[in-house]
Parts: sequence; C-alpha cells; structure tokens
Amino acid sequence: MKRRTFLTTLLLFLLTINLGIMLITIYTYRDTMGQAKERSAAEHYFIASGLLKDITALDNRGADYKQDIAGLAQPYGYLAGNQNAGIALYEADHPVYSNIRGEIMSDFPTPPQNGDRLITLKEQNGNAAVFVTGRLPEPYNDYALLYRSDVSNTLHGWQRMKNTMFTIGLILSGTLAICLLLLLGRLFQPLTDISKTSRRIAEGEYATRLTIKGKDELAEMAGSFNHMADEIERQMEELITTAENKQLFIDNFAHELKTPLTAIYGYAEYLQKASVPEDDRHFALECILSESSRIQTMAYQMMELANLRDDQIQMEPLPVSELFQKVKRAMTPKALEKNIDLLCYCELTKLYGDANLLESLLINLVDNAIKASNEGGPILIKALMDGAVPVVTVEDYGKGIPEEALSMVTQPYYRVEKHRHRRDGGAGLGLAICEQIAARHKAKLSFISSPGNGTTAKITFTTP
Amino acid sequence: MANILIVEDEYTINELVKRNLQLVGHKCCCVFDGKTALEEMQKDGYDLVILDVMLPVLDGFSLLKQASHTPTIFLTAKDSLTDRIKGFSLGADDYIVKPFEMLELTARVEAVLRRTQKDTKVFELANVRVEFDSHLTYLNGQIVDLTPKEYELLEVLITNRNIALSRDKLLELVWEYDFEGDSRTVDVHIQKLRKKLGWENHIKTVYKLGYRLEVRE
Repeated sequence: MKRRTFLTTLLLFLLTINLGIMLITIYTYRDTMGQAKERSAAEHYFIASGLLKDITALDNRGADYKQDIAGLAQPYGYLAGNQNAGIALYEADHPVYSNIRGEIMSDFPTPPQNGDRLITLKEQNGNAAVFVTGRLPEPYNDYALLYRSDVSNTLHGWQRMKNTMFTIGLILSGTLAICLLLLLGRLFQPLTDISKTSRRIAEGEYATRLTIKGKDELAEMAGSFNHMADEIERQMEELITTAENKQLFIDNFAHELKTPLTAIYGYAEYLQKASVPEDDRHFALECILSESSRIQTMAYQMMELANLRDDQIQMEPLPVSELFQKVKRAMTPKALEKNIDLLCYCELTKLYGDANLLESLLINLVDNAIKASNEGGPILIKALMDGAVPVVTVEDYGKGIPEEALSMVTQPYYRVEKHRHRRDGGAGLGLAICEQIAARHKAKLSFISSPGNGTTAKITFTTP
Repeated sequence: MANILIVEDEYTINELVKRNLQLVGHKCCCVFDGKTALEEMQKDGYDLVILDVMLPVLDGFSLLKQASHTPTIFLTAKDSLTDRIKGFSLGADDYIVKPFEMLELTARVEAVLRRTQKDTKVFELANVRVEFDSHLTYLNGQIVDLTPKEYELLEVLITNRNIALSRDKLLELVWEYDFEGDSRTVDVHIQKLRKKLGWENHIKTVYKLGYRLEVRE
C-alpha cells in the first residue's frame, strides 16, 4: 500500500513536472526562433531596399551596374558581418558576391518569382542559422539576396536554459521523493505499528498494546484495537484458568481414584504372592476393605453431585428451628468426640427449600467445622436476616483456611491439606456438593476465614 | 540390601510399598509429608528414594529440586507425558505410575540400584553363594555348573525373593515374551535348580500359582 502510493504519487509528479518543462522549452524555442527569423527578415528587407536604391541610382545614371554589382553589395556585407551574419547575392542563380564564411551556398533555396521571401532555419552540428532569400523587385528580379544570420548563440542559450530546467526538475523530483517517503512513512507508521502489534499478539504476547497519540481517526482505531487486545487477553486468561482448573480436577480425581485402587490391588497381590503371618494378613484385608468403602463413598457422592445438577428440587416452607434440631441431633455424637458444643441461634422462622438437601448441606458444613475445630471449641449455627435476605452461617474457631485456598475449596477433589482430610475419611466432594445444593436453592455459598481464628461458612439466599 | 526412603502421604500405600520392598530384603524408612522428607533426604543415609508427587507441605518435584543427590524413583498417580518428562528432567531415575504391580516396583527398584552401584553384588543362602557380576554360583565353595537359562531363572528368583512368581511370569522374565514353550519348561528348570543348589526347602511351590524363593531375614 505504502509502496504503491509512493510510486503513483512520484510517477504523477514526474509526469507533470517533465511535461511542464517540455511545454515551456518548446514554447521558448519557438518564440526565440520566431524572433530571430523576424529580425533576419527585417535585416534582409533593409539590405535589399538599400541595394535596390543603389542599383536604381546607378541605372538611372546609365552606368552599368552589372559590372559593379559585387562592389555595391560589399558594404552591406560588412554591415551584416558586424552582426554575425552574412549575405550572398546571386544573379540568375549564380553567386556574384558572398561574404558567408566557408561555404558558398550552392544549394540555397530558389526564392519564388512573386517577390515573396523564403525564411528557413537550419541546424547543423549544434549550430543554427536563419536563411532569408528573396528576389529584388522588378526589373532587377534577376538578382536574389540571401541573408544568413547565425543564431547558434541563441540556440545555445536556449539549450542551456532547457538543461538547467531539467536539472532543477530532477533535483525537485529527488527532493519530492525523499519528502514523500518521509511523509508516507509517518502517515503509515500507525498501520505498521498495528501490524507489528497484532503479529506479536498472534505470537502469544497478549499484553502488547498500541500507544495512542492525538485524537484523529487513527487514534480511534488504535483505541478499538487495544480494546480488542484487552478482550483477547482476558479471554485467553479465562481459558487458561479454566484449562488449569480442569487439569487440577483431573489430577485430583486421578489421585483420588488411583490411591484406593492402588492400595486394593497392591494388598491383594501382596496376599496372593507373599507368604505372610496372620497379623499382616489381617492388616492387608483391613486396608482392602477400607479402601473399597472409600471408593464406594466416592461413587455415591459423585452420583449425588450428578443428580443435584439434573433433578428438580421441591421448594417448600421449612421451620428453621426444626431443621437446626435435626442437624444438631445428627452431629452431636461426632461433636462430643472432640468436646465441641453445637450452639444454635435462630432469628428466622421459615426458609424455603428442600428439607433433605438443606439438612445435608448444613450437616456437611458442620462436619467440616468439627474437623477444623480444636478440642472443646464451640460451633455456632445461625439463621438471621442480612438486610432483606435470609442468611444461614456456620462458624467455627478452628484452624481456618489459607487465603489462597478460599476460592478453591468448593472445587471437586480440592484439599487444602490433603493429609488431614483424607484421614478424616472425606472423598473431597463435600463442599462441591454443598455448593451445588446452594446453587439449586438460588443461594450463594461463601467462606470468610483467617488462618488460626476460624472459618465462617455463609449461605446467602436470594429469595425471602 | 539397600536403605530406602519412602515418601508417600497415603498411609496404606506407604505401608504397601514398605512391605513389598522389605520382602525382597530392603530396609525402609517411611515419611508422610514433604518437609520431613526433605530433612531425611538431606541426611544422606539413603540409597534410594521412592517419592510421591502430590504431597502435603512440599510437593515431590520441588523436593527433588532441593535435594537431588540420592537416586530417586517417582511413584505417582500423575501419568501425563508432561509430568513424566518433568520428573525425568529433574533427575529422577525412574517414574512409576499408580496403580503399579508389585513385580514392576521391585524390578525397577532393582534396576536403579544396580545402575547406581548400591546393590549387593553377592547373594548368600544356605551354603549357596551367587555372584552377580561374574554370573558364578558356588555351593560350599565349589562352582555349580548352571546353564544360562538356569542362571537367569536363579537371578529372577533372588531379585523377587519372597514373592510368588507365576509360571507365565517366569516364562516372560527368563525366556522371551514370544517364547512358545509351555509352563513345564519352567517346572523342569526349577527342579534342576533345586537339585543343583540343594534348595528343595527354599524354592516353594505355591498352590495354583507358581514358585517362590523364601528367605527369612
């Protein structure tokens, strides 16, 4: 594009300037030569009339002017010679006098009989001359006068002017070409920038941006380009995060699934191939059984998660205190093992939802709270209004969740501290299920936590 | 007999690996998280580390970056090519993916130990002495004349001692995969070995399975 614009503009300019110079030179050439011809014609006339007077005078006196014709012409020859010109006189096409240097004009054009004059311009070897021939009036029309004026100087002058003009034209063209190149470079700079930037973005440097200068259309374009780049970068980041999460999920899932499988397979093989004492045998069988039940739990929870996504749930008004009582009854034995008090605080009378699912959600959260709590630490279960919407919270004063893990805890198979959780027998799906249950109730599950001070799990309902 | 450190956060798996390695005569130490593992690895007393990748506190890859002078075998559920390459590029000697087979584990451990020159070059049991470097076997100080296949079978039995090997497995390990012989070839060779070494009581026939070289250590 830039190249084409440059070439077209330059070509147009060259054409115009050279055409102009050509026209001017042709015009000046014609003008100069026309002047030279007119001058020569005037000189010819002047000499011819002078000569005619002299001849007439001699003839009237009865003298034989034919004898002395050369003598008559001579002064005019000198006169012309002073002006870088020469004359030649012919009688019946034979030269009788000539002071034209070097050449006797033998092939001079025969002037017409009617008294008109012939004016010709001859150029030879870089020299130019104007020839004027004409006959003397009757009765002396036997005589013809040739006037030759050397116009080489004029021609050279014109040639010099022509050369100068073309040189100037060339210099101008060169200057224009350079200016044009610089100007186009400047004009096309934003386009070059854009193509460079987009190439870098295509190569994966998503953070590359254009610098916006001024407020013209190009700046506007750069603005929208940058906006596009922003969007691309954002979407790429999203894709990468999604891919990473997916990979994490696959890794975790593989780990969760392979660990019990490895144990079951390994201990079975151990029993089959090694001769082991009764104690070891018992231990191996225990392992196989417990790992099998772990896989069973996992399968069950996965089914639950899958069902939660598809099944329609029953929304009905539930008395909150009854719900809390059920949860408390279910979790008290487990809480007692750690000497934990389950405290309920209930401001709400009713919640809309599925009784079984909400119970299972609360049991899960309380179960997690018990696992996180220290010996004897209380757990608070609250139901209250937060502004216009009902909120249920489960608070513990246990070890808390590190900040970087907060956003990940509801991911399936994510474990903040793998070791502890697995010992506690979870399959890594508890909070994923909780989040699904909350989502089915159009509620949001969030966690507020500071390590060492405890965690608050908060279910914010969007419907009253 | 080598001193092996097992780093694996799952108690049951850790115990399983320990038991398998103890069967073939190694001494094992078990740790369950990355931090303790790093401390143990820096002690320098181990011939080999069996290392899980997903560990609490410090993962296996970072662990190997910080202490890589001990020969290491990764034992992990992460089976993607990227992870394997990462493991090897960090200087691991082998990479075993869960779930694994007992024989695979012992064979790979044996291979790494042999490569790193930490394995015993001599095995002794009931007046029999086997030298692995020279492939020579002595009974009461006298060289026992064994055919190449007999010697290979003996070596496989010793490497996998206390583990029952099926006839098919033995065929695969001693003869080639494509060997078209039947399992009686194995029986015949086992009989010859028992006779030549006087190991009638040590090479046990395992009902419905195959043979096992029993060594009480």
